[in-house]
Amino acid sequence: MLEVNNLNTCYDFLHVLWDVSLVINEGEYVCLIGPNGAGKSTVLKSIAGLIEIKSGEIFFKGISIGDKKGDQICRMGISLVSEEMNLFTGMTVMENLSMGAYTIRGKKKKEALMNFVFELFPRLAERRIQLAGTLSGGERKMLAIGRSLMSDPSLLLVDEPSLGLAPRVVDTVFQALEVLNKKGVTIFLVEQNVTKTLQVVDRGYVLERGKIVLEGSRVELSRNEHIRKIYLGV
Amino acid sequence: MKKFQDRIGLSMPGLLFGVFLLLLPWFPPFNKEYILRWLIAALIVGASAIAFDFSGGFIAVINFGFMGFFGLGAYTSALLAIRFHLSPWLTIFIGALSPAILGLLSGLVSLRLRGMMILCFTWFVGLALMGLATKLVFLTRGSLGLPCPTLYKTASNVPYYYTILGMMFVTYLVMKLVIQSHYGLAFRAIGQNMEAARTSGINPLKFRVVNFILACAFAGWIGGFYAHYYGVLTPDLMSTAKTTEVLVIAYIGGRGSLWGGAVAAVPFVFAMEVIRSVLSDMPGLNLIIYGLFLIFVMLYYPGGLAEGYRKIVAKLRVKEIAQH
Amino acid sequence: MICGGLSNVGEAIVMEPVIVRFFRWLKSSAGITILVTLVIAAYAAMDQGAYVIINILVTGGMWALMAMGLTLMFGVMNISNFAHGEYFMIGTLVAYYVFTPLHQHLESHPNHLLTLVAPVIAVFSAFVVGGMSGILTDRLVFYPLRKRSKENWLMNCFLLTLGISVILINAHQLIFGTQYKGIVRYWPLPPVSLFGVYISIDRLFASVLAIVTIAIFWVFMKYTKVGQALRAVSQDETGALMVGISVDNIQLLAMIMSCALAAMAGGSLLFMYPSYPTVGLEPLYNSWFVIIIVGFGNIAGAAAGGFMIALLQILTRVYVGEGWEYVIPVLLIALVLIVKPNGLFGSKVRGIWEK
Repeated sequence: MLEVNNLNTCYDFLHVLWDVSLVINEGEYVCLIGPNGAGKSTVLKSIAGLIEIKSGEIFFKGISIGDKKGDQICRMGISLVSEEMNLFTGMTVMENLSMGAYTIRGKKKKEALMNFVFELFPRLAERRIQLAGTLSGGERKMLAIGRSLMSDPSLLLVDEPSLGLAPRVVDTVFQALEVLNKKGVTIFLVEQNVTKTLQVVDRGYVLERGKIVLEGSRVELSRNEHIRKIYLGV
Repeated sequence: MKKFQDRIGLSMPGLLFGVFLLLLPWFPPFNKEYILRWLIAALIVGASAIAFDFSGGFIAVINFGFMGFFGLGAYTSALLAIRFHLSPWLTIFIGALSPAILGLLSGLVSLRLRGMMILCFTWFVGLALMGLATKLVFLTRGSLGLPCPTLYKTASNVPYYYTILGMMFVTYLVMKLVIQSHYGLAFRAIGQNMEAARTSGINPLKFRVVNFILACAFAGWIGGFYAHYYGVLTPDLMSTAKTTEVLVIAYIGGRGSLWGGAVAAVPFVFAMEVIRSVLSDMPGLNLIIYGLFLIFVMLYYPGGLAEGYRKIVAKLRVKEIAQH
Repeated sequence: MICGGLSNVGEAIVMEPVIVRFFRWLKSSAGITILVTLVIAAYAAMDQGAYVIINILVTGGMWALMAMGLTLMFGVMNISNFAHGEYFMIGTLVAYYVFTPLHQHLESHPNHLLTLVAPVIAVFSAFVVGGMSGILTDRLVFYPLRKRSKENWLMNCFLLTLGISVILINAHQLIFGTQYKGIVRYWPLPPVSLFGVYISIDRLFASVLAIVTIAIFWVFMKYTKVGQALRAVSQDETGALMVGISVDNIQLLAMIMSCALAAMAGGSLLFMYPSYPTVGLEPLYNSWFVIIIVGFGNIAGAAAGGFMIALLQILTRVYVGEGWEYVIPVLLIALVLIVKPNGLFGSKVRGIWEK
């Protein structure tokens, strides 16, 4: 479904990603793990079209999206939940969600999607007329995921959903992601919490210093010596 | 000597530029009186740009009412000279005090403001000063113009040229010395991030006020020269368009460099004056060119002259190292 | 699921009586300001006659339009536009050059319908040309900068707008000269009587136009999809891109709307402000007064602030004297800034304008 070939990305002079290649198949739950500053978020932002790529190709459903802008990529069915969430803080939860459905035509579909999001995160339904800027960290994360779902994506890119959240909220978020995956949404997850991630995903890539150093299924990764030593601390 | 030279940041090109300016009035066509007048106008803007950059480039406070402070100094000095028959040489120094005091007050009250808000605040202070100069007719004669005594009794422009050149140099020297001291570091820290500077023990109030006082005092001082050179003052002098002129020169010169404004002013303001007099049947054309130039610089060389110079020096260094 | 029962909590907040919310708002600084403004306006009207109110509505409405445009541009594009007055100037110029030939034509061929419609055509063409000049400005100046670098954006844009302002003012001087290009009035009709005051049709039209435009603008921002997208971009540009909003187009639209509103204000005030190169200065000052007094990024506040500034100036003119209306308000606004650094209506949310 998504194919990234030899992706290179720079911030001004700083070369961050070096020939990153990866493949995600339809319906999969794939993770990207790695230490801080390896460039994990940059991979997601490059795919979502938020930063310009220097070289390389990105194909989504067979169409090259490497030179497309963020809004066009969103229309194609890729949705990003960024680390900083980028919520519209001066709008209510409902308004944020309906902005998420900006690309969706048809009132019925919008309502169905909104109901689905409220079912997934009942907390959001409670807060529906509250301003997004006044939500707690966990609620914001839920809203960010909910807003991404409103565009009815076929591929969901999730950046660090557990960052700065209480363990119980992290569980909620992870459960929601699993439900989504079961419903047929392909998920590409970037996470620091490797223990938890390796319990849920199908497959994973390891990114270190801007390069993919390892890939494999959940079982392979969990058994890998390097992973066990560096990330799991066993 | 070498150490002092380093401290004031006077490199070889800088010295050459100084010598060039010193000798300029002796070479034709620059020894003509009307051309000297243009050069003096350029130096006034250049000196103002240095003072402007002292706040704009370091504590990141754009004093958009700069010419208001400049005009306050000019009017104070002129009025003192007229009412109390003091020598203009004395009054331009006393005249610098009033903008310094206003700078102190603005610095104090503007501490809670940031960015665009402080820009607007200083803008409004400048507008208010201009409005007062226009409306307090009994004092300033409003838009009729206030005649005031000149510095020299001669009709020649040469002594004025050297005076303003000296004043520009003194402005540069004082500000550069302040920047080179620990104050400079504090200024930059406040300019970058005020909260971070505060938490590392820098008192933003003190440094901002010091910066404001100095910049405004020098603005008023140069304003005093303006008054006693042209011999007539109108409130127009404080208009936003004039501030824009200084600001543009400071930015073309390069933000946070001090010298950039001075170097940019001489050729630039001079060229503007030439265009204006040559194309006098097309009023406004010189300012259109000026605006286009500003947009061009901001779009393609936002670092201004100073950054270009830095890049050239860096390239030369690289070559030098490569040769060794 | 469980959410069905819980969502009632949300509804409970909606159901809070309007009157309670109104009183809470009244106690905020915005409420107090508006209340005080209304009281002062009422006092002035009783003291000086109702024409004060009409003047406030005429000029205040136009300052409100300009300030709303300014706020929109600042919110959506992060540009603090110091060339806003020049779009007002363009408006006056276009209205003059559209209306004068029509007027001359009417003198030789009287036509009642055209007499009524001609001013509307003039104002509408000012609106359209203003919008087109907005497109040009965006494509020639801000779009290249956006593509190039976002570094130091706020400051660079500020300088760019200064450059635009210098160019437009002097282009006017070069092409059209410095003389006043004005008209006596739009409609050759007798003034109408309202509450015992005679108002010329021109003034009536200007104030009604302003109020109707403000209302349309508000509805547009609140309820249409594009209006919501404008708000979304002003709150988080990356977020807007992520939900599929074409940020480039929305920013262009903001620029168009902002310039078109300013030009429309210029066109409909042609009878008060004849066109000359620096006619835009006064509206520029006024709209910035509004922005500062109500705080950045507050469109509803900008609308209210326009009337407040007009009131302030009219009161100064009446009670202090002609020519003081730029001194006293400026000093007052400086004082307001000292007491409330984010403006009277400003929210506590920190934004880009502080950088």
